[in-house]
Amino acid sequence: MVQDIAAMLPAFERHRGNLIPILQAIQERHSYLSGAAMKMVAKHLGIGPGEVYGVATFYNQFRFQPPGRHRIKVCLGTACHVAGGEIILENFERKLGIKDGETTADREYSVERVVCVGCCALAPVALLDDDVLGRMLPSKVEGLFVQFEIERQRQEREKVARESGEQARD
Amino acid sequence: MNKQEIDARFVSIRREAERRAEHRKREAIPTIYIVMSTCGLASGAAETKHAFEEALSHKGIQARIVPVGCLGHCYAEPLVVIDHPASGFPPICYHQVSAGRARVLVGSYLEEGDPVLEYVLGAMERSDLIPSVMDFPRFSLEQRLVMEHCGHIDPDDIYQYIALGGYSALARVLASEPAEIIHLIETSGLRGRGGAGFPTGRKWSLARASETGGNIAICNADEGDPGAYVDRTILESNPHQLLEGLAICAYAVGATQAIVYVRAEYPLAVQTVKRAIRSAKELSLLGPGILGTPFDLEVSVFEGSGAFVCGEETALIRSIEGRRGMPQHRPPYPVEKGLWGRPTVVNNVKTLSSLPSIVQKGGSWFRAIGTASSPGTAVFSVVGNVRHPGLVEIAMGTSLRTLIFDVCGGIPNKKSFKAVQIGGPSGGCLPESFLDTPIDFDSLRQAGAMMGSGGMVVMDEDSCMVDVARYFLDFTQKESCGKCTFCRIGTRHLLNILDRITKGDGRKEDVELLATLSEDIKNGSLCGLGKTAPNPVLTSLRFFLDEYEAHIKEKRCPALKCRSLTAYYIDLEKCARGCEVCVGCCPVEAIFTTRGRKKGIDQKLCVKCGECLVACPREYDAVVKVSPPGLAPIIERPPDEEKSVGGQG
Amino acid sequence: MVTIVVDTKEIQADDGKSVLQTCLEHGIFIPNLCFMKSREHPHASCRLCFVEIYGIDQPVTSCTERVREGLVVLTATARARRLQQAAFKLLMSAHHCRPKACPVRGGCQLIRIARHLKVGLNSQPLERLERAIDEEVDLGLFTYYPFRCVLCGRCVHVCRQRTGHNLLTFAGRGLKTVVALFGGGDLAAAPCRHCGACATVCPTGALVLKGEQGRAASADSSLRAPQIPPR
Repeated sequence: MVQDIAAMLPAFERHRGNLIPILQAIQERHSYLSGAAMKMVAKHLGIGPGEVYGVATFYNQFRFQPPGRHRIKVCLGTACHVAGGEIILENFERKLGIKDGETTADREYSVERVVCVGCCALAPVALLDDDVLGRMLPSKVEGLFVQFEIERQRQEREKVARESGEQARD
Repeated sequence: MNKQEIDARFVSIRREAERRAEHRKREAIPTIYIVMSTCGLASGAAETKHAFEEALSHKGIQARIVPVGCLGHCYAEPLVVIDHPASGFPPICYHQVSAGRARVLVGSYLEEGDPVLEYVLGAMERSDLIPSVMDFPRFSLEQRLVMEHCGHIDPDDIYQYIALGGYSALARVLASEPAEIIHLIETSGLRGRGGAGFPTGRKWSLARASETGGNIAICNADEGDPGAYVDRTILESNPHQLLEGLAICAYAVGATQAIVYVRAEYPLAVQTVKRAIRSAKELSLLGPGILGTPFDLEVSVFEGSGAFVCGEETALIRSIEGRRGMPQHRPPYPVEKGLWGRPTVVNNVKTLSSLPSIVQKGGSWFRAIGTASSPGTAVFSVVGNVRHPGLVEIAMGTSLRTLIFDVCGGIPNKKSFKAVQIGGPSGGCLPESFLDTPIDFDSLRQAGAMMGSGGMVVMDEDSCMVDVARYFLDFTQKESCGKCTFCRIGTRHLLNILDRITKGDGRKEDVELLATLSEDIKNGSLCGLGKTAPNPVLTSLRFFLDEYEAHIKEKRCPALKCRSLTAYYIDLEKCARGCEVCVGCCPVEAIFTTRGRKKGIDQKLCVKCGECLVACPREYDAVVKVSPPGLAPIIERPPDEEKSVGGQG
Repeated sequence: MVTIVVDTKEIQADDGKSVLQTCLEHGIFIPNLCFMKSREHPHASCRLCFVEIYGIDQPVTSCTERVREGLVVLTATARARRLQQAAFKLLMSAHHCRPKACPVRGGCQLIRIARHLKVGLNSQPLERLERAIDEEVDLGLFTYYPFRCVLCGRCVHVCRQRTGHNLLTFAGRGLKTVVALFGGGDLAAAPCRHCGACATVCPTGALVLKGEQGRAASADSSLRAPQIPPR
């Protein structure tokens, strides 16, 4: 990660106005901002690391912990709120045993609330990674996890089959 | 550089655009326009497009697929328009075109010439064959200036915009003096569409008058209002009209640098605008020496990182400078001392997109639309409990009633209208008695709401106004930058008080406390966002005081919305013996079987999600929701059942 | 030099100076926390220095108003007082004051303001706010008490002025905003001059120097919060 960031930085001019674009670029590639990354950015721009930290913590976009492998975002824009978005969020939270903004211990899922993804006509809306799930219901949340579980078991079976196949070849 | 030379250069570009349009027409193969903006994609437009492609190649039919931006009819997504000249029908608009419908359309319409009437929304042109969408109120009552071409052109094809007259306003402006342009905008009476309604012409002349030099023009597309997606749609559907407006603005105010500030949460809009800038540069419509004149304009995109407060211009400027987006005291205004200390003009997307038509058709033409004090049109994203939600552009001065009931089809499911929330977190809720209020800057402000950035949420009788106020305060409080005392701490107190009211812990002095505190926050805050943050509370107190009192005095939520004040129970008279539908849908296993083999709800486990109410078959209709919760009869769980649930757990 | 009138008193003042500074220099107290002479652009965040100015229909913050000929300022009108008291109550609801354990030498600025506004050191009728932030943060040379901090930003400003860097910055947003030092208290690598100015300018005892250095630095009276004539 450190090497990768070191390789990216020279592409950005040493200009204060580049601070947010650099942070965005790092997060885009590494999905969060580590302390070391912020120090490198500070050094590149010739400003204090505290300043980078202060700016980064101001904006919703930046994360300081790696997120889960699957990111669940529940929209709580006005239309989704009126349509019961909070109940959907609660269902995810209960199902995963985490609160909004947290990641499960196995780093599989993280849940966060977002404000308006602009699909108000489909309210309430949730996002699973990049897929928009419209007209959500608590029972759809259940269904989603059943699907995940089936998918996970299938992958596991395939993995076992592959491994045993490899062993057989050996 | 004289007018003839600019014209000559522009005409050659225009000819090329027309040649391409003509070529498409001559080809005479069917064209399938698919709405591919964010809301279309969310409804499955990508799958629809894929299904069309597959079906076409499978059947060996020649057709052109054109991804277009949003028409604004979100209720009917995925929307598809098929232009099939050989069939003899006019171009037809289809609604809810799923992948399955796409395959049917290819087979029936493109192959056999049957337009499949049950999928048709309407024809795009008037004809005797199919009723035209132009005769539907959702189309005919609208007046589109800003969104004129949205949904009709491919946002990635600059020539399509040029063929419709695009960039000719810019060519005209370049041959005029900046002062003339400012004068034109002043006479048009255009007011900033970002919310406050400051006269655009005056803003420009202030920036022009500054002697610092190196002026900067910024397009504010940091649409943070939860429930508004007007700016995003314009950026995704017709970015060139905005860029043309931005270039006109930059020329008029003497700026050589322009920035489009877009939320990073709008990835598609960011990409579309970036591509649009590149293609405009290639044709010398942006960049150095535009159309051979000495006017240079470097345009870049800045991605906002998610802070509602950055919609405020001083905070927006701070964030471009790579700092914490905290508003600054004005004066100095950005037009005197803005980005990097240079005079900066910040204009909203809709303001800039209005400019090309004003330049082409004149200030008095624009003044004739709308009202005397608010000329032009207003664009709203109307969502919530209406039949036809989506984007609507209407002339200023149209009444709320016309917009909600005629254009958007009124309230669905036989419910009655309760309130309309306008202007998002800075706006307010207006009750039925205000439905005849004309939509313009001043009337809305007088009523206690505000134009805002275009969010409009319609609410039916099932919406609780205390809960809506709480929702907005929760938003503002989370989004407060934390700089000034009133907004940082005051909004949290408002939220806490509203929270306890909706939980049934309201105190009799709370209404008074909310009113006083709101008044203080309004008068004492540093920036516009803080000053307007209490509006949702103030308007709901003014129009729906009885709801506050029911919550506080009777611990009752009249709309049955606040979960702490409601309960569900199953009417044993109506419940069908042996039916298990509700048990299966309950996410927390709160439903048990009574001794009589009917169902009961364990109030301690129930999370009040309402799934059982929806799931209970209509012929039984046994689930009842009540407020206050004490009204629910107590039905004991049989002891043996309890044990078996415990055993499973 | 121009002539202005403050509460019936005629004052000769420098044209363009802020109303707040002019009043303070002439012994007229207006409550304030975030104001600093050396700030080029007023921070205007504490919202305590409201006054009324003839010709402006709403009370305005005196730190952002500039002196000009003929200005008439009223510092204690009912409307200005209401906002001052409201801002003070709000600050107190988040400040968690324990006067007996207060570390500020010579009295906390909040006590003086309370006395001036004739209100108690509490937030009545508002409740005390609880927040999910640390009670006490060790910043190496200092201890930071977030619940005492009013986010006036004086420490951040003075640190930048003295070191040329933002060692101290605001972090977080909204009600969770705190003053922070990147990397906690590890000042060895940072260009901190251990001058202690940040703690000295703190008006509420939220940033306190540890041990000996604390005492030495706070002797630097040039940095003290603006002195107020005793009542």
